[in-house]
Amino acid sequence: MKKISGLKCRECGRKYQAKAIYVCEFCFGPLEVDYNYEQIKAHISQEKIKTGPNSEWRYWDLLPVETKSVISLGEGFTPLLPARNLGKLLGLEKLYIKNDAVNPTYSFKDRVVSVAITRAVELGFDTIACASTGNLACSVAAYGAYAGIKAFVFIPIDLEKGKIIGTGIYQPNLIGVEGNYDQVNRLCSEIADSFPWAFVNINIRPYYAEGSKTLGFEVAEQLGWKAPDHVVIPLASGCLMTKIYKGLKEFNMLGLIGKVRTKFSGAQPEGCSPIVTAYKENSEIVKPIKPNTIAKSLAIGNPADGYYAWKTMKETGGFAETVNDEEIIEGIKLLAETEGIFTETAGGVTVGVLKKLAQTGRIKKDELTVAFITGNGLKTQEAVSEAVSRPKKIAPTLKAFTEEFPWIKR
Amino acid sequence: MPKRQLDLIFPEEMIKEPVIWEMSKKFDVIFNIRRARVTETTGELVIELDGEDGTLDKAVEWLRKKGIKVKPVTHDVLE
Repeated sequence: MKKISGLKCRECGRKYQAKAIYVCEFCFGPLEVDYNYEQIKAHISQEKIKTGPNSEWRYWDLLPVETKSVISLGEGFTPLLPARNLGKLLGLEKLYIKNDAVNPTYSFKDRVVSVAITRAVELGFDTIACASTGNLACSVAAYGAYAGIKAFVFIPIDLEKGKIIGTGIYQPNLIGVEGNYDQVNRLCSEIADSFPWAFVNINIRPYYAEGSKTLGFEVAEQLGWKAPDHVVIPLASGCLMTKIYKGLKEFNMLGLIGKVRTKFSGAQPEGCSPIVTAYKENSEIVKPIKPNTIAKSLAIGNPADGYYAWKTMKETGGFAETVNDEEIIEGIKLLAETEGIFTETAGGVTVGVLKKLAQTGRIKKDELTVAFITGNGLKTQEAVSEAVSRPKKIAPTLKAFTEEFPWIKR
Repeated sequence: MPKRQLDLIFPEEMIKEPVIWEMSKKFDVIFNIRRARVTETTGELVIELDGEDGTLDKAVEWLRKKGIKVKPVTHDVLE
């Protein structure tokens, strides 16, 4: 028996075969992968997971592929670090950072792309594609190159140079679309309907999204097989949060961890905060907005999983908060200065919101809290180029050095 | 005829208006409501429109001018 039982509509519950489809034909709700949990439960165990590879594929039993020949660059199983300095500063006694900035292409997107491309090849596709503003583009290009299949990556033409180079180096078919985000979105939806390609964030989305569950699995395993008390997660489409929650719930259902009482708090930039706005207005309808923020990887104005992220925060007793552009930069600096981790703007949003929630007592000081850092600072250097310390210029003499630093004792 | 799956978000003041009826009177489009929900301040309608491309464009533009946010059900695909 296969472990994937099929796809299921999250709105009306209608079931479909596990093909490359993503929208329910009846209610137009999103489709999600459904598993044969009884079968999985019969042979999954902590011991079995521990002997698996040091990547997200140690959780193969709970990922939506049937093949054992997975396409992997070693993504996942990233460090969970006790953040003592930052914790002390914020008055949090048990703060951890899940550092997903150290994946093969430096963001958590490698988790989802590894799953998506493995499933796409398994379904018989020879071309992988995506629409992206950065991190996903890099990842799809890299995994496409490694898998030896054709890759088409659609980006807005005015994307930052660093991201274009970071994607272009893998030699995908890189298409810069002249138009705003809405136009790129519409074009990609049309292309996905017209060509037999595996668009990771369109027709492969149900499988792709499942990769994010592994962040939840890992945190639980790294904490000694238990769920944290509180998590702070950046929100773009909202998918990451709902999947981390799903991951913890699956672990509990399979008897791998105890009860999940984790509060899920969401972080968005002020310039693109449709989910936080819905949370604060107590409205289950997430209204689309036009993004304007330096946190480009979170700039999704019409979040596909916004409602589900809203529901996760409400259901778990979590909070939702925003930070402005200055606070994002402060957040990036704070994490670097206290914990030695250089994160991108999305991480600045997470740290900024973590700080706000701690200072207002919404995160309690004795709660075991995990903040998710999902991308690397080297990707968005321009955001902090004015804010970092410059080298002190001195002549090549000992005298010049001691004059510059008179307070250093010999 | 081409079909479009759309997600319509209504501002509070439009919730009581028979907007979809009016649209179908003004433009030659067939509508099929698949899902809907209303809260205190907002309404959401997931709908399929069937018609000629040009007519669909005009109908969507008319909805937008009424203050309704119109998005394809695929939502944003950029990530």
